Amino acid sequence: MLSIKNLHASVEGKEILKGINLEIKAGEVHAIMGPNGSGKSTLAQVLAGNDAFEVTSGSVTMHGEDLLEKATEERARDGVFLAFQYPVEIPGVSNLQFMRTSVNAMRHHRGESEMNAAEFMKLAREISKQVDLDPAFLKRGVNEGFSGGEKKRNEIMQALMLQPKLAILDETDSGLDIDALKVVSDGVNALRAEDRAILMVTHYQRLLDHIVPDFVHVLAEGKIVKSGGRELALELEERGYAWLGIKDDETAASSALSNSAN
Amino acid sequence: MKPAPSLLSSAFLQPAGQALPAPLLALRKQRGAALVDMPMPTRKTENWKYSSKYLKLTDEMATSLPTAGKTGSALAVPGYKVAFINGVMVPEASEYPDLNDILIQRFSDLSDAEASELAERLDSTLDAKAVQFAGLNTARFEDGLVIRLKPDAVLDQPLFIIHEVTADASGSAFPRIFVEAGRNSQITLVEEFISSGQEAVFVNSVTEFTLAEGANVTNIRLSMGGENVQHIGATGVTQQRSSRFESHCVGFGGPLRRHDLRVRLEGKGAECKLNGVVVTQGTQHYDNHTTIEHVAPNCDSEETYRNIAADKSHAVFNGRIHIHPDAQKSNANMSNKNLLLSTGAEIDTKPELEIYADDVKCAHGATIGQLDKESLFYLVSRGIGIREANVLLTMAFINELVAQIPVDAVKDTVQIRLNQFFDQAFQEV
Repeated sequence: MLSIKNLHASVEGKEILKGINLEIKAGEVHAIMGPNGSGKSTLAQVLAGNDAFEVTSGSVTMHGEDLLEKATEERARDGVFLAFQYPVEIPGVSNLQFMRTSVNAMRHHRGESEMNAAEFMKLAREISKQVDLDPAFLKRGVNEGFSGGEKKRNEIMQALMLQPKLAILDETDSGLDIDALKVVSDGVNALRAEDRAILMVTHYQRLLDHIVPDFVHVLAEGKIVKSGGRELALELEERGYAWLGIKDDETAASSALSNSAN
Repeated sequence: MKPAPSLLSSAFLQPAGQALPAPLLALRKQRGAALVDMPMPTRKTENWKYSSKYLKLTDEMATSLPTAGKTGSALAVPGYKVAFINGVMVPEASEYPDLNDILIQRFSDLSDAEASELAERLDSTLDAKAVQFAGLNTARFEDGLVIRLKPDAVLDQPLFIIHEVTADASGSAFPRIFVEAGRNSQITLVEEFISSGQEAVFVNSVTEFTLAEGANVTNIRLSMGGENVQHIGATGVTQQRSSRFESHCVGFGGPLRRHDLRVRLEGKGAECKLNGVVVTQGTQHYDNHTTIEHVAPNCDSEETYRNIAADKSHAVFNGRIHIHPDAQKSNANMSNKNLLLSTGAEIDTKPELEIYADDVKCAHGATIGQLDKESLFYLVSRGIGIREANVLLTMAFINELVAQIPVDAVKDTVQIRLNQFFDQAFQEV
């Protein structure tokens, strides 16, 4: 479904991705792990089409089509979904208006008629329950005044509304307490399907206890340095990145933070 | 076109129409005489600093446009309406109820005694030195409208005043309205400035409101004139004890647009709320100057203005709050936010606070920014087209103010014009 070949990308002239190769088939769940600054989020942003990042060489195809040629909204309409690490707050645009515009843009692209307000509300209410968000959130500005956990649940809610082909989850577990992590993981697991691929970017193994990946890749200094099955994540948990010869100054500090948050 | 002279051309001091009662003719003459040496504003004139270059009056524009034979488009408006065509109220094109406690009269229909009383009150809400062109309106009005609400009178629906100029020839229009809201009376007055025709015209309008104790007045002002209309308008308000004035000004740019809004809170516990939205595009201009005078204690003012400038257009906001020594326990809030949609657009904003009382709450804030790139990316990453994402975010900037417009028909009119603005502003996105 998704084929990444020798992908190089830079931001403000600094090369972050230095030759990524990755094949993802429909139905698979892949996890990308790695220390901070290894390029995990950059990969997610490049796939979604953030033009703050410049692709300098390499290719990405989805269903055989050149993904990099397409504008961000076209990628989204073709089924690429990015759950943001830091979802943006947009006061003045209600969640409802935002999601309805989004859902209808997708439907329009597929040649389907727009959803009317009543149909949309029904769907939105159901799914907001699924991710444990009070439907009253729908009337507020997009992510406006949401807690970190609420923002992440809102991202998963959007994924469930839009039913993408490729769901990219960027650090979706960060900032979540254990209950919220469960809700979010249940949401992601509900997305698992034969015709859908999921790419999870995460610093910690703990998300993978809830969402069990088929493949785990370790990203370091802009390259995938090791790939394996789920056991690779457990091994990383036990032995740290140093075992692979990777420097990770922040692991100790961030682990401590994550533990205290729990 | 020859450049405007440094003094207001004498061609602009020739009023049309002699059908007014003697006291008003006398007032007009007196004001005209006082303007003989009125200097035209330059960039060195502080309150015209950013706008003087847009003011291009020629002698061809000095003559009052004829009203006779024009019907205008006011009758298409549902509900109560008054048609002003080329600055003069046209009864045949107006429809409003004949009420005992709300009198709607042309200046020309007043008795000498009534006219004499009115002549004393005209201009009383505006400071002639600060609002130079209000005096010109008084020197030139051909006829005007006075609306008098007796104590406790309530107009059950909004009254629309459609100010139309028919620019089939060059010329000018001087619409004048005086609203006297008696004790505990209530009215919603919608003023819509529109134009037809293509010739260069000048509109110089003045609307005044005096609110007696407990009166409640809402004024919605839409400036929708064409690219051939230079418009300098002023709204003056005086408020007595516990009265409330609410204003919603929505302005679309033009070659020159200037609106001075002055509110004097003269009675204890008076309250005003001033909302403003301005959008400009192309090479358009719009300048809002507001002044709130807290004269009496315990008064509240809340002011929220938003400007959006696209292309190479230019918007100006100058908001002054003046808290007088006796105005203890004043509560004043002013917020002005500005959005630049292109690198060629310009917005100048200047909040001015003068506070002479010590026990007051007074806050102000002004910002200028662009659409947030991260927000745009977030929207398009959900399949929303880039054009629509721009519209959503721009609309988000003014949504709150548009939603507060208390008359649905006006809200619809504004939204339609905004959509036209978005179509043009984002056509190349």
